[in-house]
Amino acid sequence: MAPEQSELLKDLTAEEVQRILALGARIAVPSGASLFHLGDPADRLFLIERGRIRLTLPMQVRGREEDVVVEERTSGQTVGWSALIPPHKFTLAATAPLETEVIALPREELRKHFAANPTVGYKITLNLAVVIGHRLQLFQAMWLREMQRTVEKHSA
Amino acid sequence: MEMFLMVLCMSMFGLAIAAIAFGAATRPESSSSRVQPELRPVKAVAPGRFFTDQVIPPAAPRTHVPTEILLTQIENHVRLEQAAAESFLESPSHAQLHTKTTSAFVN
Repeated sequence: MAPEQSELLKDLTAEEVQRILALGARIAVPSGASLFHLGDPADRLFLIERGRIRLTLPMQVRGREEDVVVEERTSGQTVGWSALIPPHKFTLAATAPLETEVIALPREELRKHFAANPTVGYKITLNLAVVIGHRLQLFQAMWLREMQRTVEKHSA
Repeated sequence: MEMFLMVLCMSMFGLAIAAIAFGAATRPESSSSRVQPELRPVKAVAPGRFFTDQVIPPAAPRTHVPTEILLTQIENHVRLEQAAAESFLESPSHAQLHTKTTSAFVN
């Protein structure tokens, strides 16, 4: 997918997209490699250009810590928005299940660019709010379904 | 005289008996010289059940699902739940929120 079609860069002009992309760097993530770990400082936001990223959280399974997939993001989607949200720490771990290419956008460069171009900053912030809001609503629904099952189990 | 000798003999006999009894009572025990009774292992005593007559049956053996399969089930469960949540977000309704899952992890 072309970067301009990315969920984060929606409604930006071609010129605005190019300026944003010029701030970042393409990173090739080999299959099975980690993009970031839980608790790492989040100083970069990632646009997935090609491939897939698995977002995982640790879970104790039979006394062993296992990474359990919470979400999967694919090309055109964004991972690592903790880079723009304090306290700037990754709250999930990210790995590539197959060879993946991402564009890494440094937080500090983005912040300076937004300060100089508030319209671009506003559009990207709105797009980011959509991404965050969607995840929140998704997990609210998932949480409620789990709670419903727990209630049914306890009242059976 | 005869009486005196008889009393003396009986006194000596009594003294000898007392000395033997005293010696036997105060002799240190040597473990090596004695044969110790063989100790048999005692069966583990079941924990006491207080205030109940209910006998707790032994736990039934569980079918052990390999960890890899369990993790795959969890992953599939998360995918199915996300798909269900996505459907709910597309058209929010009570029925969409509480659709039953086919996930092997919870069924």
